[in-house]
Amino acid sequence: MLNLDSLRFPRHALPSALEDLRREVRAFLADALVPYSAVVRSNTWDGFDPEFSRKLGARGWLGMALPKQYGGHERSALERYVVVEETLAAGAPVGFHWIADRQSGPVIARYGTDEQKRRIIPGIANGEICFCIGMSEPNSGSDLASVRSRAERVADGWCVNGTKIWTTNAHRADYMIALLRTDSGGESKHRGLSQFLIDLKHTKGITARPIRDLTGRGHFNEVVFQDALLPADALLGTEGEGWKQATAELAFERSGPERYLSCFLLLSRLVDEVRDHASPATLAKIGAEVAWAATLRNMSLAVAGMLNEGIDPGLQAAIVKDLGCQFEQRLPGLAQELVALEPTLAGSGSDYQQVLGNLTQLAPSFSLRGGTLEILRGIIARGLGVR
Amino acid sequence: MNELQQILDDSVTRLFAARVDREFLTATEEAGFSADLWSLAREQGLTHVLVSEQGGGMNAGWADAYVVVRACGRYAVPLPIPETMLGLWLLERAGAPPVDGVIGLLPVPIALAVDGTFSGDMPRVPWGRDATAFVGTTDDGRLVCFDTSAIAIREDSNLAREPRDDVRFERARPLALQPLDLPLDAVHWFGALLRSAQIAGAAAGCLELSVRYTSEREQFGRLLSQFQAIQHHLAELAGGMASVDTIAHAAFTAVDDDGFRTGGRDARFEIAAAKCRASEAVEMLTRISHQVHGAIGFTYEYALQFLTRRLWSWRAEFGAHGQWGEVLGRTAIEQGGDRLWACITN
Repeated sequence: MLNLDSLRFPRHALPSALEDLRREVRAFLADALVPYSAVVRSNTWDGFDPEFSRKLGARGWLGMALPKQYGGHERSALERYVVVEETLAAGAPVGFHWIADRQSGPVIARYGTDEQKRRIIPGIANGEICFCIGMSEPNSGSDLASVRSRAERVADGWCVNGTKIWTTNAHRADYMIALLRTDSGGESKHRGLSQFLIDLKHTKGITARPIRDLTGRGHFNEVVFQDALLPADALLGTEGEGWKQATAELAFERSGPERYLSCFLLLSRLVDEVRDHASPATLAKIGAEVAWAATLRNMSLAVAGMLNEGIDPGLQAAIVKDLGCQFEQRLPGLAQELVALEPTLAGSGSDYQQVLGNLTQLAPSFSLRGGTLEILRGIIARGLGVR
Repeated sequence: MNELQQILDDSVTRLFAARVDREFLTATEEAGFSADLWSLAREQGLTHVLVSEQGGGMNAGWADAYVVVRACGRYAVPLPIPETMLGLWLLERAGAPPVDGVIGLLPVPIALAVDGTFSGDMPRVPWGRDATAFVGTTDDGRLVCFDTSAIAIREDSNLAREPRDDVRFERARPLALQPLDLPLDAVHWFGALLRSAQIAGAAAGCLELSVRYTSEREQFGRLLSQFQAIQHHLAELAGGMASVDTIAHAAFTAVDDDGFRTGGRDARFEIAAAKCRASEAVEMLTRISHQVHGAIGFTYEYALQFLTRRLWSWRAEFGAHGQWGEVLGRTAIEQGGDRLWACITN
């Protein structure tokens, strides 16, 4: 029987103290983002700039919810939420620290050893360490539990063989958290998986080959492990608990405001573009998307509130990502419907045209990364009790 | 939900879930206004949720009232409970004496003649024929209230076969005429607010029926709900319902902050966003609900169409998504692109 309460997005009002933080972040961004062109800003969390990440770290705005004892700031998840939504909405280049701040840091804080936390978390909070995610494989995408890359116990550690793919930033990241098979797992493919913290800069036998995507850029990689030897303390968390840990990691990955803000810059540019010749029909179409933005912001904030209160927002997060991706993906098409300007490549055409060109090309990835639309709808159907 | 909201939710569910079924709704379409259900709702104080305790009400806020208005949508309650709730709130807010019975809302501001009377036509007044009083605003922003002594009714209905009557006023003298600290088209804004919550409720009803039906009905040797195509339909329905529920609730909560009175940021952005999103969602909600039900959902043999016909009516009442989208689009343009984010977060 369907329980409608399980679908509720509890109203979450941010404490007014957070508005001071918001003002501070806005003021900082207003200055710090001056050098970046509109098209660079439209990359949001694909934008990669170590120097900018260090600046955010220096402000105390990375690793915000991580333990102080390891170099974090022990601020609330909601304070982090405010910083994240402000940087995304403004189009700050957050890609260098993005994975580390969002998921690797929290996973290490939860499952890591004292030594691992001591070694890694200060660098995350300072914006000096870049992480990548070692989950997907050439034959294991949405069906994540079918990973085949293996880590075998050897005399003084682990020997890794296999291939990871679609690994954003692997060619320039410092670390990867990889999901690897440590045991055949018998009849269950979920068992026998473990997570590893891999030092990409100091481990032999790892090759990252950039894969050029349709935008012409190469942040994707194929990462090949050939008898890569890891020290014994590369194991992250408990051997055989990798599936559970990776699922928890995915919850961090699916629940944030980045799931509806990828095209926000385009929406705000579109508003300016139509300003002087907007018909009532044009206003209505833009207004409907503004209503969506307000709706998604309320839903996203509810998810943040649930996380902050220790309530599992798995179902709500899947709904926000499903609706959020649809919102992001239809904006480039809407822009072309309303304004007679062609999308252009970076460097030619107006700012608006370049942003449109960039986001038109990026849009297909929105409903693929972090769980496809089909996977999310499956999760929602399970929440409705029909699966 | 807080304690009051939980109590309200339990009591409206108890009242409506058992009584307002397909037979009742079919009969009411023929027989008209159900005085029995109205007096039960009245006894439970549902029309007086927003009225002060001195006035015999619950002194609750709009966020609490949301529970009641949404339930009226979820059970397709064929009574002007939301309208009367709003009318009583407007009267008390303006310091006018309360009225008994059904309140008919005047959807647009009226112009009084120099002698202080009103003559003119008010189209499509909800439950006009059953109203004992009419509440609206004047074109200079005052609250105005009439009794039924100087009116003529021409009966009409919406698609849900609920009364939407044309009311002709002939030199009607106001029972009350009071200053009001709300926008002069307050009934339009607050009517839209009410309909957004009713749409959220009816959406929840559609989802419930769709999940139940597809979990019972077998085709090709398995339950409909076991087909991935159906599961994805249901997931989409759930997302649509949740989106409307969230923004409608946000709008009700924003009214409680009462920027109208304090001169701070008022609830108009949220109300416009709620009605825009709710009305826009109706197409998808009704299309998918009917699709997964097959032919039975299209008939009086099954409850779905009482919800979907209300959704189609409520979509347009107090402004459809095009009209509210235009309001939001104009706001966005006036603010400018760089201020859009602040508009959404502040």
